[in-house]
Amino acid sequence: MFQGNLIFVSGKGGVGKSAVTAALAILAARDGKRVLALGLTDTAGLAGHLRAERVGYEPTEVRRGLSIASVDRARALDEYLKLQLRVPQAVPTKPLSNALNVLVDTAPGIREIVSIGKPIYEVWRGTWDLVVVDAPPTGQIESYLGAPVTIRELVPAGIVQDQARSLADTLQSPATGLILVSTPSELSVLETIETADRLRMRADVPNPALIANRVFDELGISGEVVEELPDGPARDAALLHEHLYQAQEHWLRELGASVELPFLFGLLTPGEVAARLARVLEETG
Amino acid sequence: MKRVRSFIVSGAGGVGKTTISAGIAAALAAADTEALVLTVDPARRLADALGVDLGNEPVPVPGRPNLWAAMLDVTTSWEAIVHHYAAPDVADRLLVNPFFRAIADRFPAAQAFAAAEQMAEYIESDHWDVVVIDTPPSGGGIDFFLAPGRMGDLIGGRLLMWLTGARLPGRRLLYRITARPMFKLTDAVLGGPLLEDVAEFLLDLRTMYDALSVRSKTIRRHLSRATTIIVTTADPTPMRETRRFFQELQDVDVSPTGVIFNRSLPPSWARAARRPVTGVSDPEVRARVRDNLKRWGGEARRQEDAREELASHHAVPVATIPWLPDAPTTVDELLAMLEAADGLGHLGVGI
Repeated sequence: MFQGNLIFVSGKGGVGKSAVTAALAILAARDGKRVLALGLTDTAGLAGHLRAERVGYEPTEVRRGLSIASVDRARALDEYLKLQLRVPQAVPTKPLSNALNVLVDTAPGIREIVSIGKPIYEVWRGTWDLVVVDAPPTGQIESYLGAPVTIRELVPAGIVQDQARSLADTLQSPATGLILVSTPSELSVLETIETADRLRMRADVPNPALIANRVFDELGISGEVVEELPDGPARDAALLHEHLYQAQEHWLRELGASVELPFLFGLLTPGEVAARLARVLEETG
Repeated sequence: MKRVRSFIVSGAGGVGKTTISAGIAAALAAADTEALVLTVDPARRLADALGVDLGNEPVPVPGRPNLWAAMLDVTTSWEAIVHHYAAPDVADRLLVNPFFRAIADRFPAAQAFAAAEQMAEYIESDHWDVVVIDTPPSGGGIDFFLAPGRMGDLIGGRLLMWLTGARLPGRRLLYRITARPMFKLTDAVLGGPLLEDVAEFLLDLRTMYDALSVRSKTIRRHLSRATTIIVTTADPTPMRETRRFFQELQDVDVSPTGVIFNRSLPPSWARAARRPVTGVSDPEVRARVRDNLKRWGGEARRQEDAREELASHHAVPVATIPWLPDAPTTVDELLAMLEAADGLGHLGVGI
């Protein structure tokens, strides 16, 4: 089990990254840790998996030891200005943040640094033993994790520079981890490998660990025996399972994930999915 | 002018939109209609099957009469938009501006707007009878429908007006007088002339505002005439996103023609799972086959419930595409997939 205090979870859209984020949070909370699950750009998925009715910028406790929060960009910007940049109280921050809002929407790196700052401040605050972040999908993760470096190149000097350096230090710390979730299918595996390779070449972001999600187990009957079964749903279901299993094996090998989570049959709600995945994670250690 | 039929294939990420879009176009082309599909981020092997070097410019699919394919290239779309709607000197400045690249690459609405703009161009070219648009998954699908309006917000937004100090930019003079002190302050805080650079950039972008507003109206008209199909699977997360999507579409006055459930299992499995497995003599094989049928049968039942619930709640027709072990990667496999589908006729995909 990961011993650090900050984990980012990313993956291609639709592979179950919010479910894995929620499962990791549930598991850590069950271990007695004080956990914050944080949605960085889209919190709806995470909220569903943790059965949180309302999610805001301020953490809300959803169960013992487990809180959830979302990053509201305007609030994060305000916090960035007041607490992190220590803009003096006398300065009217409202028009200032109005102006900066334009920046947040356009300038490369600013939007990302404002968002990526939030989980890091939460870690600095020391309120949590673990902050688990439902991070943006693989297509965007590099621009978020690399934002402090982008900013340092963009802004020549000043407190923004210093701030970006501190953020970068935390991101590079061994206590910060990154997980890429992938299903064992072509699109997802190829995108995950490509992203992981790019991230591994950078010194300023954590090295990604890979988790395979929705993995089918072995049927336990040989292909020939399945072929011989009498026609009907029993044979069709066995054939489908066998085919899905065979098709996934190639992509599983390509992916080389360190953890495999099973395909879950017959679950009704996102809450059940997360609870079950947490149990599987616990059993597999 | 031809009556061009257009299909918008929408939905959350990872449910098979691209494959189904390509399948619909392939099936219509096989039925003697000139059909074009615009794909967004297709799997490499599918892209290979549709044609080499896919980009915004449609190419005929090798060996498939009537079938054309294109692949959304957001950056190229935006370069074309800038060349088309901005004055030459402004266009030159914009294209080399790092902020412009950031917008074109990352702003989700920019990707969605590019897709909508491509759709409009294909329809207006009058070259095809049918245009099938695979949409970017951002925002669970709704971004595509909001894009035309949102581009106006970005380019003509209140913040920019405040920054530039005028409805129509009289260039530097105006914003310097009204907002200069603020720039000084922010630049002192940030440590560089960042805000001023951004304002310069936004002023350039803003010169396209009127032209793009007119264009947005036209695009919206194309969107309202299209047949909108939602693709989903019966899994908990895509179902939740689909319910939300219905709500959001209502807010923009779009009523989906129907829903395609991808990765569907035959309802007969659910019933069969309650009966004993016969005709298998080896008891161990029988036990395993039965256990396997039980879990897949349970899955089939859950899927059926999800389809029924959605169909009755939103009063829309529902079609199913069977769960295939491998995503189709050739045109023949796409056609076979559509062949095995059930209920597509009710969705206006009269194949």
